[in-house]
Amino acid sequence: MMNKWDIPGAPAEKPTHNAITEKLKTDLLTLNMGPQHPATHGVLRVEIKTDSEVVAAAIPHLGYLHRCMEKHCENLDYRGVIPFVDRLDYLASMSMEWTYVAAVEKMLGTEVPRRAELLRILTVELQRIASHLMAFGTYALDLGAFSPFLYAFDEREKILRLFEEISGARLLYNYIWIGGVWNDWTDEQLTRVSEFLDAFEPETDKYHDLVSVNKIFVERTAHVGVLSVEDCFAYGATGPVLRGSGYKWDLRKNMPYSLYSEFDFDVPVGTAEHGELGDCWNRYIVRMLEVKESIKIIRQVLQKLEPGSVMGKVPKIIKLPKGEVYMRQECPRGELGIHLVSEGTDSKEPYRLKVKSPCFTHVSMLPHMAPGQMVADFVASIGSIDIVLGEVDR
Amino acid sequence: MSYTVPHNSFKKYFYDLFNAVKTTVVGMWITFRYVWGVKSVSIEYPEVREVLPERARMRLFNDAQNCISCTQCAMACPVDCIYISSEKLPEGAEIKKTSNGQSIRLHLTQFTIDTALCCYCGLCTTVCPTECLTHSHDYEFAQYTIDAMKYDYLAPDVKAWRDRIVKA
Amino acid sequence: MLNELVSKINSAVSGANASLLTPEDSKLESSILVDAKKIHAVAEFLKKSKIMNALQAISGVDYVEFIEVVYIFGNFDIANPGQLLLKARITDRVNGNIDTISDLFPAADYQERECFDMLGITFNNHPDHRRILCPDDWEGFPLRKDYVAAKNYNGMEVFPEGKMNMADREFIVRQEMIKKAQEAQSGKVQ
Repeated sequence: MMNKWDIPGAPAEKPTHNAITEKLKTDLLTLNMGPQHPATHGVLRVEIKTDSEVVAAAIPHLGYLHRCMEKHCENLDYRGVIPFVDRLDYLASMSMEWTYVAAVEKMLGTEVPRRAELLRILTVELQRIASHLMAFGTYALDLGAFSPFLYAFDEREKILRLFEEISGARLLYNYIWIGGVWNDWTDEQLTRVSEFLDAFEPETDKYHDLVSVNKIFVERTAHVGVLSVEDCFAYGATGPVLRGSGYKWDLRKNMPYSLYSEFDFDVPVGTAEHGELGDCWNRYIVRMLEVKESIKIIRQVLQKLEPGSVMGKVPKIIKLPKGEVYMRQECPRGELGIHLVSEGTDSKEPYRLKVKSPCFTHVSMLPHMAPGQMVADFVASIGSIDIVLGEVDR
Repeated sequence: MSYTVPHNSFKKYFYDLFNAVKTTVVGMWITFRYVWGVKSVSIEYPEVREVLPERARMRLFNDAQNCISCTQCAMACPVDCIYISSEKLPEGAEIKKTSNGQSIRLHLTQFTIDTALCCYCGLCTTVCPTECLTHSHDYEFAQYTIDAMKYDYLAPDVKAWRDRIVKA
Repeated sequence: MLNELVSKINSAVSGANASLLTPEDSKLESSILVDAKKIHAVAEFLKKSKIMNALQAISGVDYVEFIEVVYIFGNFDIANPGQLLLKARITDRVNGNIDTISDLFPAADYQERECFDMLGITFNNHPDHRRILCPDDWEGFPLRKDYVAAKNYNGMEVFPEGKMNMADREFIVRQEMIKKAQEAQSGKVQ
């Protein structure tokens, strides 16, 4: 008799349950997600420690797209910085430009003509729509729905075409200049904006039917990656991430800059229609509702526009007084801050330019969000904070 | 679209099932409608080409006959990709005029743009006093070597290019 | 308003030596300078007294004589929104160090790592103190004013002389000529 069961290789005694689990106990598995991974929205590498299918820890490794743009800018004149600022968040270049330009204008004390300010609001809000469409499309793509991506790109293409006509480029515009904007919009182009909005507004409802209420999508995103308002404050989160947690904060409303105080619009927060406040679904729905608010703002801009100059008086060589400013504006992905230090009027280059990027802040929340999630849910979490690596790595 | 979600787990099971089927069918129907009635937006690129807007910023072109060698474009360039050199005209040489009436007092000996370095920001074209430096509408200029991306606008083979771009 | 805050900080944190920095030009930002050793206590006071509830960024500026760490706080209170630039100066360029505030504001974790990466300031008691944007074996701190890019990186030569072709060499010579012309031109303008 070999053993109790007469089977070769079997243990002499019947193992207890504890002994089995002790034998089955495994180490954490290290999994590298990225840098070339379709679900990381660029060259982000996240080192994940997984316990079977559950993420135990996530460590983002940044810097694959690091260009040290801040050092570059120390050797450029104030106008030459604008193309570099464009390349931060390449999906919302207009917003990036405006923040930088507003910082310079604040130091310079330039008065911007009213038409130029209105056109800036028009372009930035159109850019916000384009950026949120991209976020919507790629988020659906991350979660396995392919066709919403194509519909979103179709609409985004129309906005990019308008931008190409006014500025000459499709992504990196260099359109908003110190003192105003480069080119004026013609009446024909403004009419086309209005026509685009009329055609686009019903489309947004279609996106809701297609994705927002879809049972598969809701199951993938509701109650996933929950961030409370306290977490958001602790990590300094802004934009749709903060609003998705239910906190009604928008710089355009709470600390109005430019002419935003004249406009009538609402600040959408997470609705908790599905899931709970602060989860992926609510962050997603905030973006979709913001698109509608942007449409509202653009319609008001089109009514307010009057003919006039689009360029203020700016010296040919810009020299700023000694000191510093910190300018923050509401960009599609959160609050962008530009900390600009000038050495004094004998220098025509910035002494220091620090970019506070919202995406960098949001990436720092990933180690907090990840533990306890499934790997597939972690993909949904990365997609829901909507990062652009050009801005994270700078 | 808001429903009151039933709390009874048995009812909830069927409700979820119904909801899943319903929302999927709605989504499928939207996609299905694209089979007919929606015009295709893509174009067959090499055969069909999009007409670029007037302001489109593609490869730079310098009309050397109108250049006064002021180096303003090289100074405005944030990536330093424009190389200009010039020398003084010899004594008693004829001073030519540009098309907008400025006199050319320097002899341009080199005007080269490294297109591989260029970031197409358009800052150089806005400072040009004679409007000789412009963005052309050429976007197909792939080359085999990086050296071939450096375009010398004083070379003899520029003439055909100039005829195409400068409309006198 | 900042004057009140300065006196509040001074009374709450002994030895903070808070002072108001006002620029000559009124358009620019005023800021508060505190002693670098007391930065943790000051941040704790700001958080506890609910004057500022979020840290937005930590920026560092190298002014050659000293390196300034700028803590940019934001108040996300709807009734009383605002922002604050809090500064601490570090004179030691080699062993410059300052206490971390990442236990109070988790946002400071990544921002302090970036500040260390770019300006070489050590943050004491930081939980994960390493470079964030540059590779781990990078030498030097890029945003310092005396930074010189290394000739070698991991045995690879940066701009190898032998591999440079003559056309490139010619271009570099031209570029230097342009720089001279620019200097001459800018001298004329002034």
